[in-house]
Amino acid sequence: MKAVLSSEWVKLRSVASTFHTIGAAAAMVVLGIAWTVYVGALADERGMLRAAAPEEGFLPLVQMSLAVLGVLTITSEHATGMIRTSLVTVPRRSTLFLAKAGIVALATLATAMSVLLLTYVTSRLIAGERHLGFNESAFTNDLPMLLASGLSVTALALVGLGLGAAMRSTAGALVSVVSLLFVLPGVINYLPPPWNTRIAALLLPNLVPQIASERMSSRLGDGYLPPWAALAVLFAYPLITLTIGYYALKRKDA
Amino acid sequence: MVRRAGGPPSRILYGVIELQHLTKRYGGTLAVDDLSFTVEPGHVTGFLGPNGAGKSTTMRLILGLDAPTSGQALVNGRGYTSLRKPMREVGALLDAGAVHGGRSAYNHLLCLARTNDIGPKRVVEVLEQVGLAGVARKRVGGFSLGMKQRLGIAVALLGDPGILMFDEPVNGLDPDGVRWIRDLMRSLAAEGRTILLSSHLMSEMALTAERIVIVGRGKLIIEATVAELTARYPSLEDAYMALTSDSVQFGAAR
Repeated sequence: MKAVLSSEWVKLRSVASTFHTIGAAAAMVVLGIAWTVYVGALADERGMLRAAAPEEGFLPLVQMSLAVLGVLTITSEHATGMIRTSLVTVPRRSTLFLAKAGIVALATLATAMSVLLLTYVTSRLIAGERHLGFNESAFTNDLPMLLASGLSVTALALVGLGLGAAMRSTAGALVSVVSLLFVLPGVINYLPPPWNTRIAALLLPNLVPQIASERMSSRLGDGYLPPWAALAVLFAYPLITLTIGYYALKRKDA
Repeated sequence: MVRRAGGPPSRILYGVIELQHLTKRYGGTLAVDDLSFTVEPGHVTGFLGPNGAGKSTTMRLILGLDAPTSGQALVNGRGYTSLRKPMREVGALLDAGAVHGGRSAYNHLLCLARTNDIGPKRVVEVLEQVGLAGVARKRVGGFSLGMKQRLGIAVALLGDPGILMFDEPVNGLDPDGVRWIRDLMRSLAAEGRTILLSSHLMSEMALTAERIVIVGRGKLIIEATVAELTARYPSLEDAYMALTSDSVQFGAAR
């Protein structure tokens, strides 16, 4: 297993797409700085305001970028035929798939936490003593939200890996990830209450605030799930999709 | 992972590929039909047959990429998928194009080598052996078909295995490359290795192989030495034409 993990690490660091997706995720830092400078200037005119925290507002960018990383980890192998070369060297498909999942989890968690913390720190430093709303709570209060955000990125990247293995298609897996992250939450919003909130509480993007015991959104209000349950649902997403992906890899001829 | 039924091997044969009633059905077509033969060490065994005869499928079944419908293929007396470090026992080149084009030749070999605990020194060695040392850091996507064939052969040689399988390795090679392959095959066989080589070039096969296995429509047509065939027919090509005249069809080409 150690040998296959180190092989997957070489695979990940030796293709340009890895750095493109990490670069796209890191754009959050730049956007966070721009956002803080903008709302800081508004605050200088009006005295104070309540702006959204950049590491929350731009989270979908990091989620999407690193979900692409998770998808490509497996679909690039199916698209090129590399999967057959890989399976000849590692005929135990469970070992290969677990190693891929492990490397995707480590790489995306490290990237997401670095980007989130960097965005957090730079935006607070630029905000300084201004009253921007998001910069007025202590770091310890913000920590659950940061950790939940980081975990959600990794969960989504693993969902991407699982869907990629199940569909063997980059486009198919990406469309599914986009549906989970953007389309479905948008549609559920317009269900008649209380069903919109009930179902929305189970959707990936809304699990993050529930884990941190915060309001889901102004439209949906508070969530239904206590933090531990929201965390369990967050873990269920990758667990289910990885299981489906593993069976597809194991059962079907490569 | 259990992909192949059957008890423990009855006898351990080192350096032997053994097919026992190997059968593979894709939907309604039998790609490989009750195929039994043995490939032994010390010489090159030519694997011949018309397009769609099931040669590539047979090799995929031996390597565990496809699961047989019935029967089994053993290497060194065991199923391929049960080998702990398969690259040290079997080297294979199936499809030279089955590589991620964005990776350098060195990194491609390194990621595969790591799965079987093969060090970077050996990677450099095989790159020199196949004549790719000068382009080791170049992206594989820019390689010609001949260079990709050499890279695929480098992968097969990484683990210094006793058994080697090559599917159409001379495709796309220039005359220099064709001669290089011929000499390589002969020297590998002279070292006591087992070589299974498929090709459509009869003149090349007559120069390289000592034994010939001909299949048609997934079935074994004949297993003989080149000397036996050329004694009965004017040339190996004539022998092939006469023996496969009933079997030319386009079956489950994959």
